[in-house]
Amino acid sequence: MTTTGILPTSTAIAARAVDASKIYGTGEAQVRALDGINVDFARNHFTAIMGPSGSGKSTLLHCLAGLDRLTSGQIFLGDVEISAASEKQLTLIRRDRVGFIFQSYNLIPTLNAVENMTLPMSLAGTRPDRDWLNKIVDIVGLRDRLSHRPNELSGGQQQRVAVARALMSRPEIIFADEPTGNLDSRAGAEILSFMQSAVRDLGQTIVMVTHDPGAASYADRVVFLADGKIVDEMQAPTADAVLDRMKQLGG
Amino acid sequence: MGRVTIKGLLAKKFRLALTSLAVVLGVAFMAGTFVLTDTLGNVFDSLFAKASQGVDAVVRSREPFKADTGPGSNNQQNRPPVPENLVDQVEQVKGVARAQGVIQGTALVFEKNQKDFVQHAAPTLGVAWFPKGQEVAQAFQNVEGRRPADADEVALDRKTASDGHLRIGDPVKVSFLTVPPKVYTLVGTFEFGGDENGLAGATMAAFAPTEAQRVSDRVGRWDRIDVRADPGVSQTEVTDHIRSALSAAGDAKKYQALTADAFAKEQADTIKDNLSFFNIFLLVFALISLFVGAFIIYNTFSITVQQRARELGLLRALGASGRQVVGSVALEAIVVGIFSSLVGLVLGIAIVKPLEGLFSLFGADLPSGSLQVEARTIVVSLVVGTLITFVSAISPARRAARIPPIAALREQALTVREGRRRYVWGAVFGVVGVVMLFAGLFGGQNGTNSAILVGVAAFCVFVGVAMLSPLIARPAARLLTWPAARIKSVTGLLARQNAMRNPRRTASTSAALMIGLALVTFIAIVGASLKSTFADAIDNEIRADFVFSPKNFQGFSPEAAAAVRRELPGSTVVQFRGGQVLVNGSSENVTGASSNFARVADLKLRNGFDRQSYDGGGVVAYKDAEVGGKKVRLGQTLRFTFPKGEKDVRVAGIFTDKKALPGNGDYVLSLKDWSLFNEPLDQYVLIVKPDGTTTHQAESTIKRIADRFGGISADNKADFKDRQLAQFDQILNLMYVLLLFAVIIALIGIMNTLALSIYERTHEIGLLRAVGMSRVQTRRMVRGEALIVAVFGSLLGLAIGLLFGRALVAALSDQGIGFSLPVGQLVVFLILAGLAGLASGVWPARRAARLDILRAVNTE
Repeated sequence: MTTTGILPTSTAIAARAVDASKIYGTGEAQVRALDGINVDFARNHFTAIMGPSGSGKSTLLHCLAGLDRLTSGQIFLGDVEISAASEKQLTLIRRDRVGFIFQSYNLIPTLNAVENMTLPMSLAGTRPDRDWLNKIVDIVGLRDRLSHRPNELSGGQQQRVAVARALMSRPEIIFADEPTGNLDSRAGAEILSFMQSAVRDLGQTIVMVTHDPGAASYADRVVFLADGKIVDEMQAPTADAVLDRMKQLGG
Repeated sequence: MGRVTIKGLLAKKFRLALTSLAVVLGVAFMAGTFVLTDTLGNVFDSLFAKASQGVDAVVRSREPFKADTGPGSNNQQNRPPVPENLVDQVEQVKGVARAQGVIQGTALVFEKNQKDFVQHAAPTLGVAWFPKGQEVAQAFQNVEGRRPADADEVALDRKTASDGHLRIGDPVKVSFLTVPPKVYTLVGTFEFGGDENGLAGATMAAFAPTEAQRVSDRVGRWDRIDVRADPGVSQTEVTDHIRSALSAAGDAKKYQALTADAFAKEQADTIKDNLSFFNIFLLVFALISLFVGAFIIYNTFSITVQQRARELGLLRALGASGRQVVGSVALEAIVVGIFSSLVGLVLGIAIVKPLEGLFSLFGADLPSGSLQVEARTIVVSLVVGTLITFVSAISPARRAARIPPIAALREQALTVREGRRRYVWGAVFGVVGVVMLFAGLFGGQNGTNSAILVGVAAFCVFVGVAMLSPLIARPAARLLTWPAARIKSVTGLLARQNAMRNPRRTASTSAALMIGLALVTFIAIVGASLKSTFADAIDNEIRADFVFSPKNFQGFSPEAAAAVRRELPGSTVVQFRGGQVLVNGSSENVTGASSNFARVADLKLRNGFDRQSYDGGGVVAYKDAEVGGKKVRLGQTLRFTFPKGEKDVRVAGIFTDKKALPGNGDYVLSLKDWSLFNEPLDQYVLIVKPDGTTTHQAESTIKRIADRFGGISADNKADFKDRQLAQFDQILNLMYVLLLFAVIIALIGIMNTLALSIYERTHEIGLLRAVGMSRVQTRRMVRGEALIVAVFGSLLGLAIGLLFGRALVAALSDQGIGFSLPVGQLVVFLILAGLAGLASGVWPARRAARLDILRAVNTE
């Protein structure tokens, strides 16, 4: 296993939620989206979060990524507590230490593929590492599409640009929210293998929310959520095992 | 369908408010203009009605001729006075109870310090007040003290007295047009028509009748005669009796009688004529604001139709016809239009007072009265506001009809492909506009026609450029952002891309600002050209150490010039006057000048000037002056009609340069014949000091003389120039302020467009924020786009303003106007417009930065 591109860190835990609760509404209408969750995400691992609709999986991801705030509890990225960070600090954390892949419309329509890939660096005012960029472009296989605008790319190609963007800044952790939700199975499989190899070959850490057992089978570990609580987890999952577990959960 | 529209509108109240604002401001401006001028008209109606209280008929001289030298030309009173004995003659007529002479003179009242005079930029009247029980007109009321009984006493209207800090018993200095100033004793104060503001800002000094005649140069004469009828005799009856009597005496050619009501109406109408000029002047600016508003409406509707493509597509898919979709958008426009017009109307009434304040800031104190909201104001405001909104929304509405049902299912908003037709039409408008501009300026039209042609030309050019400008919006945005590109500012580049992604939107947003900037540039260029030409003329074509000019607009006594000749012997003193005459039957402005005018003003006389002939009552004609379609020749005899009679005048010379002359007349007339005018007043006196005197000595003598007369500014040449240029500046500044309305509307447009664009790009902004764009960067990006749009529009406006300004100055070149480009001023305008653009981006930028990332990312 190579360690190319991984930042030296002090802990083996990339992200951690401690007693994480998220409550929407008040009184009768109160909804506990997250109900005292404790979970660690190991560095250099590909973790999938699964659960039925309304289980709180997306909320957990958003809170881990600093896009949303907890009602109570703590979130750590590495050893930084982001649940206590200011809006300004969060922006810097997102820009420098976190990568994102969303379900769709991941790209800025006015920027071409390579500009989209290097956007976080442009925003930070730093120069992208040429060799690293070349390496990633080759991995996602978009060499001949670099100057294309998003609307000139297929859905799969757009997601590959999104993956490349997430990898470009060598973040400590990448959060992916249903990255294959809008893709056909072939393009989806392609994206998932890129993500898998990013973890195996580049030493990346990825946390992905999905409802697709097939997608979850690419992960090293699956965490199951129901009603805002962690109900189970599974190491080295297979699609069938995940599917069975999901059926039990009523998803 | 209707319900869907209304509900949709209410759901987006905020957008509705912002869109409406563009129309609201324009309508408010228009409604405010109407209310203001109606209110002023009403003030004068009641003023003249009060002035004729107790009067049943009026007898006066017939007007010798009606001078008409265009709008705004000074309306000189051409009617000669009537002889005193006519009063007795009228009093004998059947049905007449009493006839009484009236003096309508000028008297400048000084404050208690006897240095500054009381003035409210309105007429300064001097009148006769008859002993108690004898007067016909009952205008003087609420008297304190008593009326003037002899030649050393005066009464003042209460406001003038209090403004001048004068109390009964105080000495009051009053100066007059033709006789030297005199110190009176204040014996009484009064209110005109029973109202302290009854004089609409004028000052009034009342004298004993014979003293009033003396100070107004009316010894043995009256300006007119007021008549009171016997009890039971109507205004018409007594007027008819007087008419028959005048005919019987063979005086019907010289004098005329009219009812007091008709007289009051005529006086009010004369003022209202001037008001209508003022009204049109303001309405032009209101229309400009509405025109700019139209662009905003067009733009907003275009954007919302595009944004609602899915919704409209769904309506189509559910079975709505194209016509129904057009109808729903059109209905939306009409609702917005009616709503905005109503709000605008109310706001318009509310801005009348601030508008008056604005004018008083520019030295024009308008008399105030109760606000007059006429039905016409309401109807015109509602119709124009609604119509403009509707018309502006037609093209976006028609585009809505072309949205296919499939749009409902498409993920991304339709990108509108620009047809070639738009550009063809744009080019047609542009070309027609430029052709009309040149036809208007160089086609030999009269003033009004050419102004209308140029106005329509401007409209066409604005529309044409707005239609064509998407073509250059992309390259322009690229060019304008090269500094951002150079420093590789990602926010700058994103702003550039955003401005470039929909060139049509960028273009029509900036078009609104373009109009404002074009007009500002146009005014700046024409103003600078006139000013520099004028300054140049004073510098190079006038030789004078000192200049007398009137502090108010009526001129001053020729005695001032006589005093200078007397007290500064050896000096060159040249008097200039202005008046209106008929030359061979057609109205002309003439300038009067002392025979030694050539010593101070270089008119570039052609060879053959016959000074002796000029001195003996001749005229010098401009080289292009025409009579009956033929150019005036040297030695020719012209028939001049003056207020007091006709005279043949020989052309003693031809001059080729008007710039050194006050006024714009084609004729310079010897002062010898000026006695044929009713009021022989000087407008300027140019003075060259005698060789042996120091400037200091001469200046103190001259200032002393001016002080003695009051109402005269005595300046050295440099100060005189500054004073004249300051008057130009005041008018220019007023126009800038009025254009500010249009510019503000344009800025609201930028704000509105950006807000809508941000709404459209919610997801994208969320994404940018998610991958690490800070709030500061987000704001910078949006403001950057605002800046690009503003600067683009300003540059287009600058170019159009330059074209129109340059063309107008070229058209005026035969009057000696030289082109001057106020580069510094234009740069300042450009910078200000850019800053204003930035400012208009502040609020949308803040909105964009405040977007909740999570929700934004999940928005499609």
